[in-house]
Amino acid sequence: MPKIDMPSGALTLLILRVLRSGPLHGYAIAQRIHVLSSDVLRVEEGALYPALQKILLKGWANAEWGISETNRKVRFYRLTPAGRKQLDSELSDYHRVHEAIQSVLRSA
Amino acid sequence: MTELFRRVRYLLNRRRYDRELADDMEFHREMAGRDGRNFGSTLRLREEARDAWGWTWLDRFGQDLRYATRVLLKSPGFTLTAVLTLAAGIGVNVAAFGFFDLFALRPLPVREPETILRFQRRSPQNYSTHVSYPALEFYREHSRSLSAVFGLAQTRLALEGRDKLLRADFVTANYLAELGAPITLGNGFDPGSDAAASTQSVVVLSHSLWESQFASDPSIVGKTVRLNERSATVIGVAARTFGGLTSGSTDVWLPILSQPYYFRGSELLTTISEDSVMMWGRLRPGGTPELAEAEMKSLTAELRKKHPSAFWEREYLASEPGGYVMAAQGRQAKGNGSGEHHKQEIYTISALAGCLVMLILAVACGNLGNLLLARGVAREREIAIRVSVGAGRGRLLRQLFTESLLLAMLGSVAGLALGALTLRLLIRNTNAPAWLDPSPDWRMVAFALFIGFAAAMLFGFTPALQIARQRHRATALRQILIGGQVAGSCVLLIVAGLLVRALDRMLYSNPGFEYKQVVAIDPRLVAHGYAPENARSYLRALQDRLRAAPGVASVALATHPPLGRKATVFSSDTDGRLTNIHTNHVDSEFFETMRIPILRGRPFEAGDTQTAVVSESMARRLWPNGDELGKQLPMGATKYTVVGVAGNARAMALEDPDAVECYFLAGAADLPGASVLVRSSVAPESITAMIRTVSKATDPKVTPEIELLRTAFGRRLEGVQRSALAVTLLGGIALLLACLGIVGLVAYAVSQRTKEIGIRMALGAVPTQVLSLVLRQFSRPVVIGLLIGIAGAAALSQLLRRQLYGVSHLDPIAYSAAVAVFAIAAVLASLVPARRALRVNPLDALRHD
Repeated sequence: MPKIDMPSGALTLLILRVLRSGPLHGYAIAQRIHVLSSDVLRVEEGALYPALQKILLKGWANAEWGISETNRKVRFYRLTPAGRKQLDSELSDYHRVHEAIQSVLRSA
Repeated sequence: MTELFRRVRYLLNRRRYDRELADDMEFHREMAGRDGRNFGSTLRLREEARDAWGWTWLDRFGQDLRYATRVLLKSPGFTLTAVLTLAAGIGVNVAAFGFFDLFALRPLPVREPETILRFQRRSPQNYSTHVSYPALEFYREHSRSLSAVFGLAQTRLALEGRDKLLRADFVTANYLAELGAPITLGNGFDPGSDAAASTQSVVVLSHSLWESQFASDPSIVGKTVRLNERSATVIGVAARTFGGLTSGSTDVWLPILSQPYYFRGSELLTTISEDSVMMWGRLRPGGTPELAEAEMKSLTAELRKKHPSAFWEREYLASEPGGYVMAAQGRQAKGNGSGEHHKQEIYTISALAGCLVMLILAVACGNLGNLLLARGVAREREIAIRVSVGAGRGRLLRQLFTESLLLAMLGSVAGLALGALTLRLLIRNTNAPAWLDPSPDWRMVAFALFIGFAAAMLFGFTPALQIARQRHRATALRQILIGGQVAGSCVLLIVAGLLVRALDRMLYSNPGFEYKQVVAIDPRLVAHGYAPENARSYLRALQDRLRAAPGVASVALATHPPLGRKATVFSSDTDGRLTNIHTNHVDSEFFETMRIPILRGRPFEAGDTQTAVVSESMARRLWPNGDELGKQLPMGATKYTVVGVAGNARAMALEDPDAVECYFLAGAADLPGASVLVRSSVAPESITAMIRTVSKATDPKVTPEIELLRTAFGRRLEGVQRSALAVTLLGGIALLLACLGIVGLVAYAVSQRTKEIGIRMALGAVPTQVLSLVLRQFSRPVVIGLLIGIAGAAALSQLLRRQLYGVSHLDPIAYSAAVAVFAIAAVLASLVPARRALRVNPLDALRHD
């Protein structure tokens, strides 16, 4: 199955969504998205880190130091209340658009 | 808001955040490496991630700036040429802006200048710059919107032991205190003492008078000086920085209530029909000029009820900001119409000056643009390498433009220094008042930087575009740039030519009257409170004594002596064309004394009533058929019969070809304002002492102003002399810049075509053919530039028409002389480098690369 790169708007949504279940480091975010999408979606470094920087800048997540599973000091990203709100609003937007597209696809 | 805050935090802690990002990505790599995946350049990925912070442009700008500095340091010759060229262009603009700043933008050095308003009388039909003292008093007592009303009467006083009259401001007692006048020695006037001041004969000296006349005597306070033959006690010396609200340098300040003490019989304080006082008011906190004007309007209506004849219908007081040099500028004037034409004139001249200095900048920019293009060729290799290692066009463009920007900023700094220096020299060398401080303020600095930036856009952007596209043979752009330079310098040269012609005309042409032998005596009888009857007997006595004196050829009277400071203009609209009629009330000997010929009809005769003599130009304009004699001339309410036509005498407005003159026989009412004109049969300097003695013998209380018309003429000349010099200098700079540009271009063209020239010479081309080969490509832009320049000058000089002393603004001599100067300079500038083409040795040229 061909690997599909992420559209940039969707990536922010997915990152926020996987962070909702708890803080993760950068690589784990990429892995989680990859695994949860049954290996269809693949997040490249070149897209992930700009998106993470943007999320930090917007204040949707904080970075804090922690220890990785390989026993290395790395930064974990944790969702902030503002991030949670942003996720909710993006999710509802997404659902609306998704349903609209679906209904067009079904009926046309 | 918080996002902006975070952004700034990222900027300030860039190093730490960058390290953290690098760490994150390194870890990512480690983990991904385990899964056996490959990846791209870490550096680029990190840069892309950092883009999100929004500071990449700053990093790049820093990089570009460092690089630009290195590049400019490596070619000091180019850098120096460029900065000097720019400094000339920017410096001229800074100096011009500095003038504007000093006169219109910078507040006067007085307390809270922004709340001061200057008031002038207006009505739909009339205007007057001054008000009467009783009116001022009335406004002062009744105004609620102004916290203070103050004013002054400007006049001249004789100080014992000094030939030149002093400039004296008779001020209301609150004037010095209201303006927060700094006092070096002693005290100012007690602001509450307007009532008591009439008995006080006190005076405050200006700092410069104290220095020049009293040798900075530290114990001057309390001493007595003699002014107009009356004694006055010095109570203080103002600081050097204080000049009050009037333009020029005031020598002494005196309480206005003591004015009749120095001018015995003066009715300044009591007559409501004479406008002799300048009036200002200070707004209360929170007040607006509109509110003050509305209140003044209703007060004026009340005044008109009490004195119906002294105030006009629907009269009001117009206010303007009073705390600036501009507001104090201008002579006392009164007349019909709006009184705006004086201001209009100032604006036109300023606009013209602005255009001319902008042209210099444009020429400098064109020159620099060409220089940058030529440099682009030399940097061909560097640019090619940068493109091949991956520099995008946008990045390259930004880099090149940053270089221009750096040059421009250097030019701005140098230009600011140059401009400030020029301004300082100009201010020092004219008789500007001592408190006028020419050092640059923030406005001038901001202006210099702004002009520098605009210049960088002008000279840097297009060449950068061309170079970044690697299109070096940008001949079209070069030609446009050289054409622009030619046009700009051509305009400057033509305007300079016009001014030189005007100067020449003024010096050597006949102004229509003979001034060299004439002395004007202004006894200022109004200021001394002479009633018409007393004035008549004084003037008759003075004239009789003068006629009997040796060396006097003839004596005449005029309310407006030629070349004087006073003018009464009657604007008349004939067939949609505005004519400025300068009126003058004279006696029957005036035409003889001034040597103004009577062309038709007759001069005035004693006993004429309601007659007028008009100038030839006025007759031609009003009665083109030549049947003017006996016609009725309506002037306001009265009609006058034209009895004669005099030659044109541009006595009032030398510079204005639209001005015409109209003379009336001076009646009793005109006499208190009349001056005496004396034609001398010997050198006029030698009779001034005699005139002084005679006047003293006639009435010792009167201290007349005596001036040779030759001196007055010189004063008028100064202005045009200065502007001719300045514009010629500008034209010279522009010409030099344009010629340098041509030299560079032709030299470049020769070096580019060495091989072709060699081949042609080997095939038998003669020198003229070789030269035409090299020069042909420049002849077109130069000719087109010249044509545009001529058209531009014709359009611009329209604004100058009234200052040209009768020289047409399309004067063919000025135009052809300027074009000839330019053509000769351009030919020389192109021939010098083009000669190299003739010296090309065909053999060497063919072996060339």
